[in-house]
Amino acid sequence: MIWTGVTKARGAARFLETRRLLTLVLAGALVWSLTGVDWGGGIVHTGGGNAFKEFLTALFPPELSPGFLKLAIAASWQTLVHAVAGITLALAIGLALGVVASGSLGHLGRSRLAIAVAARFLLAIMRSIHELVWAVLFVTAFGLSSLAVVLAIAIPYAGILGRIYSELLNDVPDGPLDGLRSSGASPAKVLVYGRIPLALTDMIGYSFYRFECAIRAAAIMSFVGIRGLGYEIQLSLNDLLFSEVWTLLLFLVGLVLLVDYWSTRVRRSLGS
Amino acid sequence: MTAAASIIEGRGLAKSYGAITALSSLDLTVGRGERVALVGPSGSGKTTLLYILAGLIPLDHGQLVLRSKPVADLRPGKELSEIVGLVQQQLDLVPQLPVIQNVLAGRLGQWGLLRSLASMFSAHERGEVVEALSRLGIADKIDERTSQLSGGEQQRVAIARLMLQAPRIILADEPVSSLDPARAEEILRLLTEVAADSDRTIIASLHAPELIRKYFSRVIGLREGKFQFDIPVQELTTQRLDALYDLDRRHQS
Ligand SMILES: Nc1ncnc2c1ncn2[C@@H]1O[C@H](COP(=O)(O)OP(=O)(O)O)[C@@H](O)[C@H]1O
Ligand SMILES: [Mg+2]
Repeated sequence: MIWTGVTKARGAARFLETRRLLTLVLAGALVWSLTGVDWGGGIVHTGGGNAFKEFLTALFPPELSPGFLKLAIAASWQTLVHAVAGITLALAIGLALGVVASGSLGHLGRSRLAIAVAARFLLAIMRSIHELVWAVLFVTAFGLSSLAVVLAIAIPYAGILGRIYSELLNDVPDGPLDGLRSSGASPAKVLVYGRIPLALTDMIGYSFYRFECAIRAAAIMSFVGIRGLGYEIQLSLNDLLFSEVWTLLLFLVGLVLLVDYWSTRVRRSLGS
Repeated sequence: MTAAASIIEGRGLAKSYGAITALSSLDLTVGRGERVALVGPSGSGKTTLLYILAGLIPLDHGQLVLRSKPVADLRPGKELSEIVGLVQQQLDLVPQLPVIQNVLAGRLGQWGLLRSLASMFSAHERGEVVEALSRLGIADKIDERTSQLSGGEQQRVAIARLMLQAPRIILADEPVSSLDPARAEEILRLLTEVAADSDRTIIASLHAPELIRKYFSRVIGLREGKFQFDIPVQELTTQRLDALYDLDRRHQS
């Protein structure tokens, strides 16, 4: 008894020492790594200050010629269409997989449990790959088509939405569900009359947030050569036409604000 | 004789949660049309007993026969919901749904899945909902969001749901605990009226002696998962109630 006590105390002391040492080593490594960064001219482009100033001053005014506005509107429309199609598909897939993954369709027998686990696994794979990587895959498969963008957005977003939906559907109070069960409702009816209405406000709020992200994602698909706002921004940047870049950026912000406004209105009408 | 008249036959009903014995081997026989009040301090097992009678949680041991059929043999859904229904404190409604959908939930045991789905979008059997709500005095609330209603009104919605379900046995878990005395009396009156309609059985847990004397015919005292008494309401004395609740207080300290 006494012996184990002593070794324990000694062990604890050694553990503390080790921990302090480890902290010191890590802190040292951090400081050292800072010296590894080249703070000199290498990282900041020489004359970058001037270019940045030029970029900022180009905001006054942005490019507002009718011809360019027309182009910006067309590009925004393209991006919006990709985002809407992508998120719509993601909603449908995410809801279906999320419901299965939540296991709320039945008492978890062995096979049901296996199916729920499989759905969770599938969702994890879908969301662990970035939309741009999916885009590269789909562009390779289908060429530079809208289908490629829509799928590239839909799949990872369905993975994220499905995961969140399954949590929200499980995270509802038991009282109302028991009430429905005592009226003879099967798990599927409990889902429709209980879980979904109880979780709906949160599900919609989160989906709108993801819709905003989908707009960003659709814009950045220019990296794999897909047209839209990002594509035009890239072209203007290459030509150093900063006032055009500003116009396009303002359109992008406009799209996101539009979704935000819509989201607020929908949530207000749901009376949350 | 008793077998034919009784609607609930429980033998050795037992339920534990880990080390906690919520119900220890209870025998319970309830006849058709009886009005039973369940009393006892909190934690005594009232909710557990009602949930077991409602078929919502499984028994550890014992045998429960409802309307001469073992509860395990009753198909959940249609068959079970025709026999038992449960009202809890207002927690059991879905606050986000309009009143009519919460009332129609009483039909879910009878309806198929497709019909249930369709009714969520365009409500079926509106006429029956109007009828039930009118009887309870809140027909004007039919399309309101349930969360907008007061506690007493929500309790009426729960009763309306029970009226559409129309089970032979009505179980009510502290249906009036969150209401002021006047409203509590009103809700109990409505609940027992609905039960009396077609000789339904009602078992309700509640604490107010004057309401028990007025609306019930039999009282069961529960403490630590055991029946302390099971008597006609005429024999309910203040001493008996005090003993039931006081004993527990002494036990806890
Ligand atoms: N889901 C549960 N898990 C663990 N213990 C529970 C659960 N439900 C009830 N209990 C315990 O069972 C006992 C009886 O509880 P309950 O039936 O809710 O009593 P009452 O309704 O009379 O207040 C209590 O000790 C309670 O803590
Ligand atoms: Mg209780």
